[in-house]
Amino acid sequence: MALDAKIPSGPIAEKWSKHKFEMKLVNPANKRKYNIIVVGTGLAGASAAASLGELGYNVKAFCFQDSPRRAHSIAAQGGINAAKNYANDGDSIHRLFYDTVKGGDYRAREANVHRLAEVSCNIIDQCVAQGVPFAREYGGLLDNRSFGGAQVSRTFYARGQTGQQLLLGAYSALMKETAKGTVKMFPRREMLDLVVIDDKARGIIVRNLITGELERHEADAVLLATGGYGNVFYLSTNAIGSNVTAAWRAHKKGAFFANPCYTQIHPTCIPVHGDYQSKLTLMSESLRNDGRVWVPKKKGDTRAPKDIPESEREYYLENRYPSFGNLVPRDIASRNAKSVCDDGLGVGSTQMAVYLDFADAIKRLGRDSIEEKYGNLFEMYERITGEDPYATPMMIYPAVHYTMGGLWVDYNLQSTIPGMFVLGEANFSDHGANRLGASALMQGLADGYFVIPYTLGNYLATNKLEKVTTEHPEFVAAEAAQKEKIEKLLSIKGTRTVDSFHRELGMVMWDKCGMARTEEGLKEALVRIPQIRDEFWKNVTVTGSEGEFNQVLERAGRVADFLEFAETMVTDALNRKESCGGHFREESQTEEGEAKRDDENFCHVNAWEYQGVGMTPILHKEALSFENVPLTQRSYK
Amino acid sequence: MSQKINLKLKVWRQKNTSSSGNFETYKVTTDTDASFLEMLDVVNEELIVSGKEPIAFDHDCREGICGMCGAVVNGQPHGPQRKTTLCQLHMRKFKDGDSIVLEPFRARAMPVVKDLVVDRSAFDRVVQAGGYVSVKTGGVPDANAIAISKENSDLAMDAAQCIGCSACVAACPNASAMLFVSAKVSHLALLPQGQPERHSRAKQMVMQMDKEGFGNCSNEYECEAACPKGISVSNIARMNRDYLKAGLS
Amino acid sequence: MFKIHRLLSERSRSVTVSGLALILFLIFHLSGNLLIYKGPEAFNAYAHFLESLGTIKYIARIGLIGLFLTHMFFTVLVVKENIKARGKRYDVSKPVGKRSLATRLMPMSGTFILVYLIVHLLDYTLADHHTVASVMNGENLGLYGLVLNSFQTPWRVIFYVLAMGAIGMHLVHAIQSVCQTFGFNHPVYSKHIKRASVFIGVLIAVGFASIPLFINVVASCSTAASCAL
Repeated sequence: MALDAKIPSGPIAEKWSKHKFEMKLVNPANKRKYNIIVVGTGLAGASAAASLGELGYNVKAFCFQDSPRRAHSIAAQGGINAAKNYANDGDSIHRLFYDTVKGGDYRAREANVHRLAEVSCNIIDQCVAQGVPFAREYGGLLDNRSFGGAQVSRTFYARGQTGQQLLLGAYSALMKETAKGTVKMFPRREMLDLVVIDDKARGIIVRNLITGELERHEADAVLLATGGYGNVFYLSTNAIGSNVTAAWRAHKKGAFFANPCYTQIHPTCIPVHGDYQSKLTLMSESLRNDGRVWVPKKKGDTRAPKDIPESEREYYLENRYPSFGNLVPRDIASRNAKSVCDDGLGVGSTQMAVYLDFADAIKRLGRDSIEEKYGNLFEMYERITGEDPYATPMMIYPAVHYTMGGLWVDYNLQSTIPGMFVLGEANFSDHGANRLGASALMQGLADGYFVIPYTLGNYLATNKLEKVTTEHPEFVAAEAAQKEKIEKLLSIKGTRTVDSFHRELGMVMWDKCGMARTEEGLKEALVRIPQIRDEFWKNVTVTGSEGEFNQVLERAGRVADFLEFAETMVTDALNRKESCGGHFREESQTEEGEAKRDDENFCHVNAWEYQGVGMTPILHKEALSFENVPLTQRSYK
Repeated sequence: MSQKINLKLKVWRQKNTSSSGNFETYKVTTDTDASFLEMLDVVNEELIVSGKEPIAFDHDCREGICGMCGAVVNGQPHGPQRKTTLCQLHMRKFKDGDSIVLEPFRARAMPVVKDLVVDRSAFDRVVQAGGYVSVKTGGVPDANAIAISKENSDLAMDAAQCIGCSACVAACPNASAMLFVSAKVSHLALLPQGQPERHSRAKQMVMQMDKEGFGNCSNEYECEAACPKGISVSNIARMNRDYLKAGLS
Repeated sequence: MFKIHRLLSERSRSVTVSGLALILFLIFHLSGNLLIYKGPEAFNAYAHFLESLGTIKYIARIGLIGLFLTHMFFTVLVVKENIKARGKRYDVSKPVGKRSLATRLMPMSGTFILVYLIVHLLDYTLADHHTVASVMNGENLGLYGLVLNSFQTPWRVIFYVLAMGAIGMHLVHAIQSVCQTFGFNHPVYSKHIKRASVFIGVLIAVGFASIPLFINVVASCSTAASCAL
């Protein structure tokens, strides 16, 4: 099967406008005859469900949490980018487009990124109209800040809770449509399978997490907005419930999985401190504006940080990257932290941490000034670690944060299964190999508010969809298969818990497919993962029964999918013999140890076609061409 | 420095909404650096290995923002540390040998689903009654077309920070949801975007709250004290004002 | 148009409105009572004036009874709802906030006030003001005499002072609560409202309680003359 990205012709800045005009429309009176399923109610899902409801479609929205407001978009702290140029500092749609393509290390699709930059301005307008309380200046207009090393101030923010406020905005729109009856909300439902009839996505099988019942839902189109797969590492900054299940099961039904090896590791997280640890907490990278990163020069130096004299400290970022210093991009900061810890210079009880020291900043600016800027973060740090960062340096370590890979979609956000669309972090298209700060929120809302309402209409208007019912044999078979899988999990009655397998998988993934990857390590992972998976299916224990609220069963299903997905992810990492963005292959680096792209051989998207559990998936390539942003090697020296 | 402490837990166990439920006791050894939920994870791992059903509790982000977690710890929603959700409470707040009683948030409008898990769908229905600005996607003015004073914008943000965890209901002696409802009403009442529907919103949301079976506010301010985000009861006064105006007009 | 269901849907506010009216009545009542310090003529003249109002007096009484009943009826309704709203009670409950004693004791102070009110009505309002109980040193001093004589009994003084304490406490919570319920809460003024609430509550309680205390402790009533305060 040849991958057709369906990129419209014409100059980059006109593609979207032209495409919007060329797409077919659905007659307003006919919209209510179409049933649309939206899975996931984060920024992408909630905004899509609400917007489609407003247009008159008959929408059913699903989430596994108790309310759509809980989706993990809520945890995003920093902000959302938009090319408004309110700051009068030279920003433009083209600059946001340019920065995003470059930041993604030239592995994103130009046309998609340009559309993202175009609609970014509409997003801010929309959110403000909904009542999102973005930060304002004294004159009453919106405040902007520069974020993640960007040279312009284009980031809109609502204190340290931008994701929360944007999600609550989309959630309020969703509730408005629910009240009107255009959207029917199904919380505490987990999607277990996609139902494909006559090669088109026509429905889903979900498990009601309260009663345990399996439900069938039919539709004319299915939208997945189910987030990323960062929890394949067990420890990540994702919510505990974040999972790959919906995406993976759609993949097993024919949707290609693109670039799964692209994962973003965030440099400023609170380090792991015990084997009971369930998640990692991110602290805004704005901390690197004033904090200095260092480790002791001597291996195994166990002195308290204040007892280590200046001359025995290694400020490795400042020394290695004199022009950017502590503000180098996320991937570089993360990899350097790993390398100093690998060299035995790490600090803390696990020696897997580096210092982020505010002593100089406090001396220079005063404690009050630091408190005003970072008070909340310092409080959070103290709450979690019990240490006072005003008195002793913070300890930080990188953690998995975001996944750029996802289900392959064309320009219309449609997957390789007609009628199944993928939005937000769950798709792959806009961030390439590395996502810039404050761009995730932008992409989720762009897809939901401003892209899918157009492209979905075109699909419905140009495809003749026969009426199907949930009694169709495909529905019956899909439900039976899920029931069998659940019964199998419950019948194993082994000796190990679901979490113990998840943790074991996470360790393998972090060691072999984490911040730095080697051919040897990846090959080892390809041996280890099937072993863990085999043992899981022989020795896992799942308590309780299927017909009730059963959190162990929920997790078992998710971990079972991670155990299959991990193999594809490692296969992708092994295949991509270059370093780019969040994917660092040790074999492919410059003399100074920086990531080295191989544009000649790898300037394409890897899209994997499922072949069966444990079977090597088939690779399809979508070539990427860069006509508007010339290919160059990133340098932050 | 972290250390190990031994605790006795007395936990509410209830199979489902219709069953009656009872307390069970468990012993646990935990690291003081663990979060409260990680301590429960340890208890659950041990229960699962011995073939028993683990304690069901809601949780998701574990960084204090999703609003999913929460239980009453020794009589206090989210436990003894102020402005802290249960997931952010750490075991160093407890001493070796402590006893901990764990109960679900209790309110008739939020029935127990299982153990410590409760059904908070009433909150969604209250928001559906009017907790939004009725604008559609597209066709909105430029974001900077309306100036909003920093003061009002900050006050709106203070109210909008509510995470919908329902600790306010759990803490209120009357199981009233006034703080939650007023946070949403206030957030929109403070902004120009919320003005056209301001009074009808207050009225509709209060009516839905009453319909759900939450209790009445008697101005005891336990809600504010228990709120992990420090939402102020001044929002309740603001809602009362709007509600009154809605009745008069 | 008055609609009972409308009032019922406003049950919480009905408690507040009737309570506010009762506070105003208390202030009026206190200002009358304080006339006792002026002596029998002034006090009895005030009592006679009230008696002479005739129909108005009965309307006022019915109104007051109505207010009390409304206050109590809706309080009972609200409390019943609140108990129902909690459903199963907590095994352990430890207040998080800084609820004042006054707030926590609202149900107790309220109940005590009800008991007190019955006693008080039987003692004075409904009693005959011209029996032997009003005679002091051979002279019938009407209501004035009745009051002075009755407060010679220590248990009655204690009961009345305690009751005034309960009223004071009830008001300390009630006054600031009225402001909150009617939507007045301000970053600066609310603090003052709370203070004023305590001040007014204490003032009213002290004003009322001063009478039995003064009569019993300070004034020696061996003679009618010496009792002319």
